Amino acid sequence: MLRYTVTRLISLSLSLIAASIIIFFVIEIVPGDPAAFMLGLNAQPDTVAALQRELGLDVGPVERYFRWIFGILQGDFGVSYTYRTPVSELIADRLWVSLPLAIYALTLSTLIAIPTGVIAAALRGRPTDTAIMGVTQLGIAVPNFWLAMLLVLLFSITLRWFSAGGFPGWEEGLWEGLRALTLPAIALALPQASILARVMRSALLDTLSEDFVRTARAKGLSRAQALRRHALRNAMIPVLTIMGLQFSFLLAGAVIVENVFFLPGVARLVFQGITQRDLIVVESVVLILVFAVIVVAFLVDLAYAWVDPRLRHQQ
Amino acid sequence: MLNVTDLDLSINGLPILRRVGFDIGEGEVFGLIGESGSGKTMTAYGIMGLTPVGTERGGSVLLDGDNLLQHSEQEMCAVRGRKIGMVFQEPMTALNPLKTIGDQVAETALVHGATDRSEARELARDTLERVGLPSARFPLERYPHELSGGQRQRVVIAMAIALRPRLLIADEPTTALDVTTQAQIIQLLRKLVREDGMALMLITHDLGVVADVADHIAIMKDGEVVEAGEAMTVFRTMTHPYTQRLFEASGHVPARGERGADTTTQLLEVRDVVRDYPLPRTTLFGERRHFRAVDGVSLKIGRGETVGLVGESGCGKSTLTRAILGLDRIQGGSILLDGDVIDAEQEITAGARRKMQVVFQDPYGSFNPRHKVERLVAEPFHLLEERPDRDERRARVETALTNVGLSPADADKYIHEFSGGQRQRVAIARALIIEPELIILDEAVSALDVSIRAQILDLLADLTTRLGISYLFIAHDLSVVRAITDRVLVMQDGRIVEEGDTDIIFSSPQHPYTQTLLAATPSVDRALARRLGTGGPVDGA
Amino acid sequence: MSDLPLVRAGDGDRGVWRAASSSRSFVAGFVVTLVFLAAALVSLVWTPYEVTALSIPDKFKPPFGEHLFGTDQFGRDIFSMVMVGARTSIAVSVVAVGIGVLAGVALGLAAAANRRGLLDELIMRSNDLVFAFPVLVIAILITAVFGPGVINAIVALGVYNTPVFARLARGAALSLWSREFVLAAQVAGKGKFLISVEHILPNILNLLVVQGTILFSLGILAEAGLSYVGLGAQPPLPSWGRMLAEAQTLTAIAPHVALIPGLAIVIAVLGLNLMGDGLRDILDPRVRRAGR
Repeated sequence: MLRYTVTRLISLSLSLIAASIIIFFVIEIVPGDPAAFMLGLNAQPDTVAALQRELGLDVGPVERYFRWIFGILQGDFGVSYTYRTPVSELIADRLWVSLPLAIYALTLSTLIAIPTGVIAAALRGRPTDTAIMGVTQLGIAVPNFWLAMLLVLLFSITLRWFSAGGFPGWEEGLWEGLRALTLPAIALALPQASILARVMRSALLDTLSEDFVRTARAKGLSRAQALRRHALRNAMIPVLTIMGLQFSFLLAGAVIVENVFFLPGVARLVFQGITQRDLIVVESVVLILVFAVIVVAFLVDLAYAWVDPRLRHQQ
Repeated sequence: MLNVTDLDLSINGLPILRRVGFDIGEGEVFGLIGESGSGKTMTAYGIMGLTPVGTERGGSVLLDGDNLLQHSEQEMCAVRGRKIGMVFQEPMTALNPLKTIGDQVAETALVHGATDRSEARELARDTLERVGLPSARFPLERYPHELSGGQRQRVVIAMAIALRPRLLIADEPTTALDVTTQAQIIQLLRKLVREDGMALMLITHDLGVVADVADHIAIMKDGEVVEAGEAMTVFRTMTHPYTQRLFEASGHVPARGERGADTTTQLLEVRDVVRDYPLPRTTLFGERRHFRAVDGVSLKIGRGETVGLVGESGCGKSTLTRAILGLDRIQGGSILLDGDVIDAEQEITAGARRKMQVVFQDPYGSFNPRHKVERLVAEPFHLLEERPDRDERRARVETALTNVGLSPADADKYIHEFSGGQRQRVAIARALIIEPELIILDEAVSALDVSIRAQILDLLADLTTRLGISYLFIAHDLSVVRAITDRVLVMQDGRIVEEGDTDIIFSSPQHPYTQTLLAATPSVDRALARRLGTGGPVDGA
Repeated sequence: MSDLPLVRAGDGDRGVWRAASSSRSFVAGFVVTLVFLAAALVSLVWTPYEVTALSIPDKFKPPFGEHLFGTDQFGRDIFSMVMVGARTSIAVSVVAVGIGVLAGVALGLAAAANRRGLLDELIMRSNDLVFAFPVLVIAILITAVFGPGVINAIVALGVYNTPVFARLARGAALSLWSREFVLAAQVAGKGKFLISVEHILPNILNLLVVQGTILFSLGILAEAGLSYVGLGAQPPLPSWGRMLAEAQTLTAIAPHVALIPGLAIVIAVLGLNLMGDGLRDILDPRVRRAGR
């Protein structure tokens, strides 16, 4: 287990380094002179020079990369050009909306999908299964932001159960915060839950046809017992893979859905960053999103080992 | 104790079993014999009620007078594992990879409510001990992947016998195992039958296995029992022609004409070949360790000679084959084919490759399913400097097909239109087409039923007589090797431990490993001789 | 991944067609896809109304009147916009899938042919890395540096699709490389390239077709999402995602403006997914046999 964890950790750090290099390259090298780029065509030469100094463009790219990375390691992402505040502060506030939203959605999606998939597999070919397959087929096809708009139309405008958007802030209490995130989380979760339920079903059907399930049945286990005690855990391996991938979809999806609900998440920050050519903000947000995806992939790898003794004992 | 009468079974209307009937007495060993597709496995599942969806069963299966076919699914759950245990063919996949062996054996007791948790653990420990896995060396916390195939099969047996059932059904329990392991597992099953007074239904395609242990046997073909009775009587009389054919085929020795084996000029010379595989690193920055799969092997094959290479799985024979074929590089030694160096690291000339072709084990995986037979058989023409034109290519493919007993018209078919035996013929035609000097037969008859196997062996013998081709015959089955080779080499753990003329090796093996292998190989003749009391091994291999 | 189902050629393509026409989900999906393709093609030469023609007096006309799908806040004909939007969606997804297939399959086959070699390691590691960049993030990066545009959506999706195909092709090809017919081809002296083209590619084609359909539908969803947040199609090019972005504040006044483009997306994606499922059932001989 230790060995496995260590190899995964090494691969995690390599991925993080490589990803940061790519982001740095695209944002700071590709535009040529980032300072001139950020200020646009009409910039005065001395303003550009000032910004160049501020961005530390007087040194070579390699040194700049290391300065940037060491800064980040100390929590210093640089200063936003448009807001004139440290980017770390800007992001921290917004991340406290986007990240809980993604996690909320992932939780919802898992809680819905796993039982649904298991029921469909257990009742394979029966009307319940057909109905679940039909609904999930539809669920996959629905864009989350459109679903979000429909939810607003139904629950906020027509029924008035939820507010149509905005976020009171966690200071108002956990309950109020969660309440504001509920509709967005549902909009994000339902399409992903449809995918996950189908994966759960087919993974379970695959394992149910494995030899060891037949062995279990020969011991006297009923179909339901064999499913519960033997097939389910084995089927979790592909399901975990998809859950890991889903987190990245959900994080990206959160950025899109935040727009519908006017949530003060990273979405608004990054889109403003793009329009105002505030590369420092864009760079930092992208870095954090990508790091989150990589870290989740690492956690999924650890979860594999927790489920599968063959990985734990890997020699 | 178990009476099967007129058991009919159909899946989605397709009849699989017709009026199958046999009786198994208290504590007796019953052998159910048949080739693939004979319905022997489905008979077992029919008894257990573990049939696929869409199955219809008719007739009766009486266990101590109780008709199992009339049991509800819930009642069958109480029978399975408690009154009837079952062991399967493929030990590698029969165990849940995520649960410990102790839990899996204990589960049998728990699911029947026979014991509480701690007693179930005790029972698991005892049962594993009984099947030869003492907890000192094999703690209950082991996972299946930490065990070998034979050990896993012991765990499956432990699960099946934990509650001392009345009947144990073993479906090809040793087919996936090496001969020496096979012998141990059969011995274990006999011991358990003796100790518990349990009846054993042994399903197998191997007459040798059955001849040794069965009290009664039944022979199945196309979903019907063609002959049944007391084992010795059936073997003596063999009233049904299919029984006779099966019996003959299993000990078949192809007639080999005078061969112009010229052992003075060597065709293939393998000298001190070493092949290492890197092992995964155990420490992060430590030196990489290696596994030596082939360890200083030398062998020679003369023109027109047929040489056998025998060994159990993992002995390195497949690795050696790949090296000889020039598919893998070697770390030491040399391989010379008619004077040309074969070394995967260098470009192997078409001229050298042309002298050597191969026939693989799996008749289903050996062909690209998207090509017609003509294109499949003609593939080695790639090695010729001057590729034949369309007409000549067709003519030569047709000749090759005729040579292996197929018809010229078969060139226009796709491979899925052929049976397993016919596919091996196509594979041989492909090997023959550029008239190589050496054909490497890599377990080429191992996947075939005995009757088909006999035909292919005849074909191979005929070809070497007519065309003077040399064979390197790689197999784990000693009886096949004996039937067809001039010389034989025995391989163990990457080394050749014994080599010599086939007759001599088989009649007076010197190396202890060869002796063990020979003793473990099931043989109808030897078993019958022993049981009829006519003395030691007569003509049996 | 050990046992890749091989298609039995010559069972005739007739067998495939028969199976195809008897697969209800394939037929349904195929018809829907055809309708959208037709709409996209027709929109090149004809739409009921000029998509960019503003006519404020005609704004918020309800559907099923003079305008089949009604009009939006500027009085533009929604039906015409949906037709042109189909064109944008399909063009973006098709080109992105094309990029993914060409680059991904080539990389995957090369990796499999040199398994455990340096090239394999390099390709797989960079694949893993690309997986860490969601489509949206790639689009954000590109847009931040090059400005917004529909090309961004194509590139972002293409980059995202490439490793998906590479991984699929490599996995399937690896299992084929250990097959005996590939060994036989090696013994017949054929090189890695020839074997990849002659033996590997034809036998993984089915998988690629099925995966292609799935990524096609994912592409439509992604394009809509990107255009919705302003990273994809730019005005005046109509796109389903942009139509929704503009309709967002109008849901209470004129729900049809938001409903219709959304339904268009749902139906198009549903059709493609049904077609993909149907294709998988038809092309995977294991399923086919079980189905009989």
